Amino acid sequence: MALLQLNHLKKNFATQKAVDDISLNIERGSIFGLLGPNGAGKTTLIRMITGIFYPDEGEILFDGKKFDPLNDIEHIGYMPEERGLYKKMKIGEQALYLAQLKGLSKTDATLKLKTWFKKFDMESWWDKKVEDLSKGMQQKLQFVTTVLHDPKLIILDEPFSGLDPVNANLIKDEIYNLAKNGATIIFSTHRMEQVEEICDHIVLVNKGRKILDGTVKQIKNDFKENLFRISFTNEILPEHLGIFLFELVKKTGNEVIVKINPGHTNNEVIQYFLNKEREIESFNEILPSLNEIFIRQVDGTPTARQFQETN
Amino acid sequence: MNKILLIIRREYLTRVRKKTFLISTLLFPVLYFGLIVGTGYITAKSGKSLKIAMIDSSGYFDKGKVERENQADSSATIVPVSIAADSLKANFESLGYDGYVIIPANTNWEDGLDNLSLKTSRTLSVESARPLERKLNNIWNSVKNEKLGIDEIKKKTMENSRVEVVPENVNDETANSTIASILGVVAAVLTYIILMIYGSQVMMGVMEEKTSRIAEVIVSSVKPFQLMLGKILGIGLVALTQVGLWLVTVLIIYNVTKGTTSAGGMQGMIGGMQEVFTSVNIPFMIFFFLFYLLGGFFFYASLFAAVGSAVNEDMREAQSLSFPLMMPIIFSIITMQAVIKDPTGPLAVWGSIIPFTSPIYMMARIPFGVPGTVQWWELAVSMLSLIGGFIFTTWFAGKIYRTGILMYGKKPSWKELIKWGFRKN
Repeated sequence: MALLQLNHLKKNFATQKAVDDISLNIERGSIFGLLGPNGAGKTTLIRMITGIFYPDEGEILFDGKKFDPLNDIEHIGYMPEERGLYKKMKIGEQALYLAQLKGLSKTDATLKLKTWFKKFDMESWWDKKVEDLSKGMQQKLQFVTTVLHDPKLIILDEPFSGLDPVNANLIKDEIYNLAKNGATIIFSTHRMEQVEEICDHIVLVNKGRKILDGTVKQIKNDFKENLFRISFTNEILPEHLGIFLFELVKKTGNEVIVKINPGHTNNEVIQYFLNKEREIESFNEILPSLNEIFIRQVDGTPTARQFQETN
Repeated sequence: MNKILLIIRREYLTRVRKKTFLISTLLFPVLYFGLIVGTGYITAKSGKSLKIAMIDSSGYFDKGKVERENQADSSATIVPVSIAADSLKANFESLGYDGYVIIPANTNWEDGLDNLSLKTSRTLSVESARPLERKLNNIWNSVKNEKLGIDEIKKKTMENSRVEVVPENVNDETANSTIASILGVVAAVLTYIILMIYGSQVMMGVMEEKTSRIAEVIVSSVKPFQLMLGKILGIGLVALTQVGLWLVTVLIIYNVTKGTTSAGGMQGMIGGMQEVFTSVNIPFMIFFFLFYLLGGFFFYASLFAAVGSAVNEDMREAQSLSFPLMMPIIFSIITMQAVIKDPTGPLAVWGSIIPFTSPIYMMARIPFGVPGTVQWWELAVSMLSLIGGFIFTTWFAGKIYRTGILMYGKKPSWKELIKWGFRKN
């Protein structure tokens, strides 16, 4: 059963439709990627899921029941993209405060904090102030305060920005751990390589609408163009390539990229080259990267460029 | 634990634990009284004692009279000299005088002696010539008394001629208008200071949460309204703690000095305080003082919170947007004198009903007596409208706050803020 179910959510602001009829299901224990350029409506969508905004239309089902922000909020952990902590407050005190706001008792919160601080090597930080920490350290603290109360649903907006590779891996491992222990994670980002690596299921939103929804593998398959890269050990001549089986896309030296025409199989192509006494060194299908798919999907809109930048 | 309580506790503790709280609590009364005592002291001391040479061509100002006057009052010294006017003009400085006066020869005791000029080499203020003026007047009066044959006994009889009129309310015999004026000013100024300082603290606190982006984390745990209310209540408690500490200090000083006839420099102030305590219903005053202080604070604080939520890091934005809020507070402290002069006039009555000005106006009026000056119905209407006022501003500001706290970018105008405030959910 899905932990979170959004049915035809809509939210309008004075000038624009921020979220325009989005429906989706997020399975329990999955890592769900919420993708989209800035201004696509991701933050608005997340704010509705965290109870900060009320949807204009549509409904949210949390754990099978109608979402009740007042009570369900304690089962959600949210780390916004723009990190926020009280700069002048001591770290231990601050983490305790945020945990208690999530409904933990002081004793429980202290106990859990000690465990997490130990895990993340932050024990000596307790009496320091946030302003004394580096950006990466603040990020770790923010992550801890987000997941401390064992939420069923964890929403992470760009969790790796500003982290060095070591700490990014630390957080990534924790994300896997949390998911393995039953937490559901919504992961919002622009960084496609992370999505391909981490997420089970992804949704792409643009201009308030959902334009893609599926598993990473399925989406890649949906967008594949039957492109193959074939390299040969002996020379390949132009007369070898004029055939109804495929169209040549590109030829560099002894390597070609071809698009196999519909109705024909890989084996037919291989058979053809073997008949021409060409020796095949490798034969690979070229799958589009998520990045390419997304650029194609949001192309024509001014926000598409952002994806190219993160390439 | 209730979430609002958690927020209140954090807001309260982080502020009370700060050194600045302790320092301002201790320093404020010291500075306040230092200012009052100090300015008096400085004015008294700064006037230089002048040494003035006098050429008496009239013969009325004889040495004996001048000597007696010099001994009675040392604030200026008159030295009779018998040098020609021209040579005195050229030499008075080298002779060690600050200046000189010449009593004209044609002076007649039956006529007046006005417009003597004090010749100096530096320009003196009228104020610094006062002691000299006082002395010459005394001598001149005694000359006249002698000529008229008025002895000391007759003189005393003459001096008992002043009639003083003191307002006294028949409904409220204890009301003392002098003490009431002083108490009114003190209470109103204190309310003013608390409103200004703690109002802007609320605004700064909200701005801090917005710019450090913690607001979004918190509002995913509590409702924005709870966050705003918790902040206002927490800071209100800080203000109450500070005022409470001051009140306790005053009460302790009162109790310690009660019955003792202390000597020394503090006597005047302590004696005045003892008088205040005996002539005023203190618990009654304290109750209304705290009511109007907190009522006024809640009325304005939520509006300050709304402004804080609407602006970004820029202090100038906050200043320009909060100015309209400070206007009525500043207006009421400036016009308070008029209220004290005429505590039953229309400005006083209406101003102490309208919640924008009532916290300060009412505090200036209540010491004059209830129901003598402030009618019971006025007090009731004023209190109800203040309560209603802050419920309205809190509701209204809560809606602005909810929108503003997560909105970044251009600073909205007051017109837009009001639109946010009246928008349905």
